[in-house]
Amino acid sequence: MFILDDLLFRPFVGVIDALHTIALDELYDLEGLEDELKENQLLYELGERSEEEYEREKERLEEELEIAREVHEELASGRVEVKS
Amino acid sequence: MSNYYVYGVVRAADDLEFETDAVAGADRVYTVSHRRLAAVVSDIEETEPEQTDEDAQRHDDVLREIMEYGDGRTVVPMRFGMVFENERALKNVLRGARPAFRRAMNDIEGTVELGLKLVREEDADVDGEAIEATVADELEPLAVESTESDLFSDRLVLNRSYLVERVDREAFDEAIARFEDEHDDLLVQYTGPFAPYSFVDVHIGAQ
Repeated sequence: MFILDDLLFRPFVGVIDALHTIALDELYDLEGLEDELKENQLLYELGERSEEEYEREKERLEEELEIAREVHEELASGRVEVKS
Repeated sequence: MSNYYVYGVVRAADDLEFETDAVAGADRVYTVSHRRLAAVVSDIEETEPEQTDEDAQRHDDVLREIMEYGDGRTVVPMRFGMVFENERALKNVLRGARPAFRRAMNDIEGTVELGLKLVREEDADVDGEAIEATVADELEPLAVESTESDLFSDRLVLNRSYLVERVDREAFDEAIARFEDEHDDLLVQYTGPFAPYSFVDVHIGAQ
């Protein structure tokens, strides 16, 4: 029974894993965050964003980027096993 | 013992030395020559300097000072963060990459890099292609070369870098000013002069 169980469920779990990884990739979108940082800088330089808004946004984005980098490193290292 | 932080490479005949606010707290920039090439360096303790906003700005500023040194110097710029542990390692690179440096030097002789970003006003609806065509008509004839950069924001309509002969700089400035006057729905960010980062492609391994 164990063998049957294994055969039946492994592929299924595999697909969930892959989907979950893709979802995490999108959730922690490095490129998107880097683009937002550049946009923030640009709009500040053009005088459209106040220094206060700029600093607040920069801090928020840098924090998110740091978390995103950690998640990506963990995923790439293979140490994390994502289960449904 | 101190390491060498490298800004760029000039001709050995253009050796230079000046005091300035350099990367990582250094206050003097000077050249280390090997035959006909010279690296422009400042002293640094660490081998992998962290790229802070301030030091990235200093790197750019020093390159600009090099370009304006004397009657104007041609410098092949390096990206931020290149450090060599001794003079021999540095000279090895100057020797090994000599053909690449000389080629790059010829390509950028007497030029500067200028950057242009066009950003649409928040609620403006603009025709990106038409703008691109106008800009190309106005600016390309005044530039040696240009290259497109990433449109990292949906507000960005155009993001290009131009390699411009120093003698054409004024005409280029005027063309940009004219364009800006004629386009109320666009914000114009015109930057530079920079050392021509976008137009040299010399890869060297730091060590």
